[in-house]
Amino acid sequence: MKKNLLNLAVPILSAVLISVSLTVSDVSAAEPYDVYNYDRWGDAIPSQAGYIAERAVSGFDLGIGAMDTPSDIFFAFDDNFYIADTGNNRIIAVNGEFDNVVRIYDSFKMPDGTETALKKPMGIYVSEESQLMYIADNENSRVLICDLDGNAVSEITKPASGVYGQKRTFLPQRVIADKAGNVYVVLNNITTGAAMFSPDGEFTGFYGANRVQPTAEIIGNFFSNIFMSEKKRARRVRNVPTGITSFDIDGDFIFTCTSSSTQTTDIVKKLNAAGHNIFANMELAFGDYTPMYDTSQNKLLAPAIVDIDIAEDGNINCLDLTTGRIFQYDEDCNLLFITGTKSNQLGGFKQPSALETRDNKLYVTDVLKDTITIFTETEFGKTVHEASALHNSGYYEEALEPWLEVLKRDGNYRRAYLGVAAAKLRAGEYKEAMKYAKLADAGEIYNKAFEGWRMNFVKKNFEVIVAAVIIIIIASAAIKYKLKKQRAGLAANKPNDKAKTTKS
Amino acid sequence: MMELKPIQWVRHTVTHPAEGFEDMRWKKSGSLKIAFFIVFLLFLAQIACDRLYGFQFFTTYDKMFNIFPYIIRSFVLFGTWVIGNWSVCTLLDGEGTMKNICIYSSYALVPYILQMLLNTFLSHFLIRDEFVFLQMIQIIGTVWTAVLLFSAIKSVHQYSFIKTVLAILLTIAAMLIMLFLLVLLLSLIQQIYIFFSTIYTEISYRIRT
Repeated sequence: MKKNLLNLAVPILSAVLISVSLTVSDVSAAEPYDVYNYDRWGDAIPSQAGYIAERAVSGFDLGIGAMDTPSDIFFAFDDNFYIADTGNNRIIAVNGEFDNVVRIYDSFKMPDGTETALKKPMGIYVSEESQLMYIADNENSRVLICDLDGNAVSEITKPASGVYGQKRTFLPQRVIADKAGNVYVVLNNITTGAAMFSPDGEFTGFYGANRVQPTAEIIGNFFSNIFMSEKKRARRVRNVPTGITSFDIDGDFIFTCTSSSTQTTDIVKKLNAAGHNIFANMELAFGDYTPMYDTSQNKLLAPAIVDIDIAEDGNINCLDLTTGRIFQYDEDCNLLFITGTKSNQLGGFKQPSALETRDNKLYVTDVLKDTITIFTETEFGKTVHEASALHNSGYYEEALEPWLEVLKRDGNYRRAYLGVAAAKLRAGEYKEAMKYAKLADAGEIYNKAFEGWRMNFVKKNFEVIVAAVIIIIIASAAIKYKLKKQRAGLAANKPNDKAKTTKS
Repeated sequence: MMELKPIQWVRHTVTHPAEGFEDMRWKKSGSLKIAFFIVFLLFLAQIACDRLYGFQFFTTYDKMFNIFPYIIRSFVLFGTWVIGNWSVCTLLDGEGTMKNICIYSSYALVPYILQMLLNTFLSHFLIRDEFVFLQMIQIIGTVWTAVLLFSAIKSVHQYSFIKTVLAILLTIAAMLIMLFLLVLLLSLIQQIYIFFSTIYTEISYRIRT
C-alpha cells in the first residue's frame, strides 16, 4: 500500500515541479537579462521587473522607410511623438499609439518665403504654451523654431555676444523651452552649461554648468598653479567640468545629465530657475552603485547617463549608455526600477540615445538598431508607482496597502519596507514601524518610532517603573546596611580570633 | 592593612588611579588569571558594542560576520602592547616583569570595557537626541583607562613622570614595528606557500603525462 502511494506520489510531484519550472522559465524568458535591484546594503539582488519590452518599432513598421540614427524623441501636448531622424534629416511625428505617422517634416518655409532643409537634427522639443517646435539643427549650427505646420518662425544662430567666445562652435544637440518662451540649448563641446536665449532670440548667458570634481590631482594642480608663471599656466591642461549631455524640463525645474563616465559629481542635476542645483548636497548616486568590470574590453562599465526624462508622475528616468539600462527614480531619487540591457534581442539596446515617457510606457531610441523600443509597465511596476506616488505626496497611510502588495510580490524590495515603516509610524503603531524600519535599514524612522514606543511604554507602566525604582533603592540600602553589620561583626571577631590563637 | 582578595584588588586599582597600582605592587598582588579574563572581556565587549548597539544609532553590515578584526583589536593589540612595553622597559631599567606588565595593563582596561558594555546597554533605551550621554560615558571611560594605563606603567617600572611618557611613546613605536614585521612575515609565508604549491602542481602535471 505504501509503495503504491509512493508510486503515485512521484509522478504527481514531478508534474508539479515541471509545471513550476515551466512557469518560471516563461516569466524569465520575457526579458533578455536578469532583472535586479539593490538591497539595503547596496548589493545587487534579483528583483521583479517593473517594465517589460512590448515591441520595437522600426521605420518600416511605420511605413516610412528605415530611420537613420534617431537621436531624440519627444512626446508633445497634442498626443504625438516627435522623433529627430538625424541621418535622414527629418522630423517624424507619430501618433500616441505609435502605429501611424502623422506627418514628416523635412523642409520648412522660412518667414521670407524660401525653403530650408535640416542637416542632422539632434534634438526636438515642442512647447505647449507657444505651440511651437524647436529643432536643434546640429550641422546647420542653428536652432530652428517653427509652428506645427512647418512654417519657420525664427532661427537662433551663434550669438555675436562677447560672453559667447567667438572661437567656439555652435552645434546644438538638445533644445528645450520653458513656459515663458526662454530657449535652452545644449551644445557639443561646450562645458560652461546650456546656452540660454530670451523669447526674442537674444543670447542671455549660460545656464547650469557642471562643477569640476575635486579629485586629488585637481586639488594638487590648484596649489601648484599658484607658483606658476603666466606662460606655464597657459600651456598646462585646464580643469574643465564635463558638459551637459541632455536635459528635460518639468514645470519650474530643469533636470540635466552628463554622460561622462569619469566623473561622479553632477551626474544628474535638478536646477531651479536661478540655475541652482537642488540635488547638489544630497549625496545621491545615479546608475549602478558598483560598476561592473568588463574583462573582455578591459574597462570599467561606469554609468554614462545620456538622456533624462521626467515622467508625468514626477519619476526621473535616466538612460545609461554603457550598460543600456534605464534607471528609474521617484521624485525623491529613490531607485525604483532598472530596465534594459545591451543585447540584440527585444528589450536590449546597441546604443541607446534618448528616452521618453507616455503614461505608463517608456520609449527608447537606439541609434545603431534604428528602432524605438516600447516598454510597458508590469503589474508590479504599477503597484510600486501607485505606492510611491501616494507616499511622496504625503499619503503614507493610504500607501500602506500598495506597499504591502509590493512586498507580497518581492520581499526584497527595500523601498516598500521604508513605505510601510513610514505608514505605521504615522498610524502610531510604533512596534510595527520599528520592525519594518529595521528591515529597511532606516535609522531615522526607527529612531522616531522608538521614541514613540518608549513614550507609550513609560506612560503605560509608570506605576510599575516607579515602584521598581523605589524597591531597588530600598533593597540596595538594606544590603548595604547588612554588609556593614557583617563587616563590623568580622572586625569584632578578629581580635577574638587572634586572642584564641595566642591562647592556644 | 590592605588584606584584599584578587577581585577586590581590581576594584581598588581602578578606583584609585593615583596610588592603587603602587599599593598592589607593595603587596605583590595581582592575578594573571583575572588579567586574561579581562582581555577576553575586552574582546567580548568590542563584539557587543558593534553587534548589539541600539539600531537607532548605528547600522551594521550584518550580512556577514568576520571575527578576525575583533581578535586583532583585543588579543593581538594587547599582546603587542605587553611585549613591546617589556622589551622597551627592560632596556630603560624598568622593574616590571612581563607577568606584572600584563596584569597591571589589563586591570587598567576595566573602565574602557565597562564603558562599552554600559553604552551598549543604554543605547537600547535612548534616542538620537540623547546620544550626548553615550558620548559622555564613552569619553569618561576612555580617559579613565588612559590615566590608569599611565599610572600602571609608572608604578610597575617605578618610573618618573617624564620617563613614563617616553616609555609609552617608545612602546607605541615598538608595537608598530612588531605589527609591520607580522604583516611582512605573513606575506612572506604566503609567497613561500605559493612557491611550493606551484612546484607541486608542476611536478604532478609532469608525472601524469
